[in-house]
Amino acid sequence: MLQMVLQNSISGMAMGLLYGVIGIGVCLFWQTTGLINFAHISSAMLGAYFFYTFHVMWNLPIVIAFVLAVALVALYGILILRGVVYRQIMGRKGGRLEFIVATMMLNIFLLNLTIVLWGGVPYPFPNIFGSPMNPLRIGGITIQHHSLWVLGFTVALVIGLNYFFKRTLTGKALRATAQNKDTASLMGIGVEKMTALSFAMSTGVTAIAGILLAPIYFVSVELGGGIIGIKGFASAVIGGLTNPFGALVGGLLIGLTENFSVFYISSSYRDVITFVLLVFFLIARPQGLFKKM
Amino acid sequence: MQRRKIGFLIIALLVVLYPLVIGDSYKVYIMNRSLIHAIIAMGLVTQVGFAGQISLGHAAFYGIGAYTTSLTVLKLGFPIGLGFLAAILMCVIFSVFLSVPSFKLSGFFLSLTTIAFGHIVWVIIVNWQSLTNGPLGVFGIPGLKLFGIKFNNTHYYYLLVATIALLYLFIKRITNSFIGRAFMAMRDDELAAECSGINTRNFKLLAFGISAGFAGLAGAFYAHLSGFISPESFVFAESTKFVGMAVTGGLRHLLGGIIGAPIVTFLPELFRFPGWETYYMMAATFIILMIVVFMPDGLAPLFEKGFNKIFGERDDVKGGSSE
Repeated sequence: MLQMVLQNSISGMAMGLLYGVIGIGVCLFWQTTGLINFAHISSAMLGAYFFYTFHVMWNLPIVIAFVLAVALVALYGILILRGVVYRQIMGRKGGRLEFIVATMMLNIFLLNLTIVLWGGVPYPFPNIFGSPMNPLRIGGITIQHHSLWVLGFTVALVIGLNYFFKRTLTGKALRATAQNKDTASLMGIGVEKMTALSFAMSTGVTAIAGILLAPIYFVSVELGGGIIGIKGFASAVIGGLTNPFGALVGGLLIGLTENFSVFYISSSYRDVITFVLLVFFLIARPQGLFKKM
Repeated sequence: MQRRKIGFLIIALLVVLYPLVIGDSYKVYIMNRSLIHAIIAMGLVTQVGFAGQISLGHAAFYGIGAYTTSLTVLKLGFPIGLGFLAAILMCVIFSVFLSVPSFKLSGFFLSLTTIAFGHIVWVIIVNWQSLTNGPLGVFGIPGLKLFGIKFNNTHYYYLLVATIALLYLFIKRITNSFIGRAFMAMRDDELAAECSGINTRNFKLLAFGISAGFAGLAGAFYAHLSGFISPESFVFAESTKFVGMAVTGGLRHLLGGIIGAPIVTFLPELFRFPGWETYYMMAATFIILMIVVFMPDGLAPLFEKGFNKIFGERDDVKGGSSE
């Protein structure tokens, strides 16, 4: 019994951390813009597809492929998401509704673009994060190598982001921009530059999540159109939207709830429980679990 | 004045003659599907465009409507008319549940709630196998009949056009009455609306109810038109498509849904050149994206302007648009 609980916790945590990383991307976007990007999860899909192209099709080394893929997605974030969609809508003083609809349409367009460029057939992801066939076995508990990689990446990401936000001048400037744009610009911070940076960071972080998700979901359009993006939003909302690390906790909560509901209730109603959790948090505690960072 | 009447007459004639000129049963069927979507988009224009309550879960109401009518007709032996009523009623009942979060939430949070609602309904439809037959769907839903004549696609077309005309009048009456003013006040500033003595809760309930009822009606039409329904037709992507239709047509314009739905449905067909089959969906979605990003008012105001240019102006017919 204890073994089952531990096993479920570990696999739930691995999935939850991935939701959390997507949620971090949502938070980074919300911090400076006060908006939610409904094409958010497209970045994950693009990241996975770029990585697949660079690593498997062009045989580039893993690290270079990874960096290139993330950088390309970040570039997409700056040029297309910010340069076209955000600029146009904000330039017109458009509201949240317009942004929601525009990013949703952007999401659908990117899905169709991906189908055209790469075909609709899912690609199997190479076993660069360890083969699922020979997982680690400690006692009676199996741990996938992939889960350890996810943990490693997340820890590195958290340390990196924390260092960036707390110790570097750019990070402090970004936080100042998030707090109050007008005052920040009076202090000589280039608010436009900071917004661009947060777009790039948001899409880049999500691209990393996409690459880490690919071994589970394959490199497929499922990554960009499925339910997983909503779970990223859910983890960000539970975490409080203004605190990137809160999103990780929210993601963990969702991942664990999911896994235990599969264990105790039924796998078919797994997503229902996640969404009920989301609605519950939205109604009972819309400000989330954590305070502003 | 006279010229305007001619203009309306020409449009009415085009609408009436469409199935007779096209003659192709399949194309009329696609048109019927787009008209069904137009009903939903009209509901969304009322709820999102006028009352400011965003919903990204309308595929759920569409599905509830379709399943309610087909199950009541098939399992309980209701006559089809009663099935339609049951569908609408069921959707309105469910809309009450959905509008409860809207008392507290708005904007992004409300949209997330409606997405969650859509997914929950979808998962229940897929998994409640004893009632809905799960992913296999419901077969053999009877088509409409009148005086012993089974409806074909052309009959459905006329019925749908008549329904849409009635619904248009209904929405027009509503938006030009105190209800519409209250909706717009609520959309523009909820606090100010409340201070002016508008009970926003009631009006939110009403907005959700109207658009859910529309979606339920559309779902019922869809079930009886196609004779077969499966959960595939009620996924989240459909909800975004409905909102996309409303926005393409014009979210703040009464004609938005009616113009947007056929355009979004037929746009991909325009790009079906031989040899371009892989690109047509991408091209169509790209154009819709461009419309949404660069023309936030949609195509309906453009259409109205063009109409006024050709057939002369009349100021007092402004279609209830607020800005």
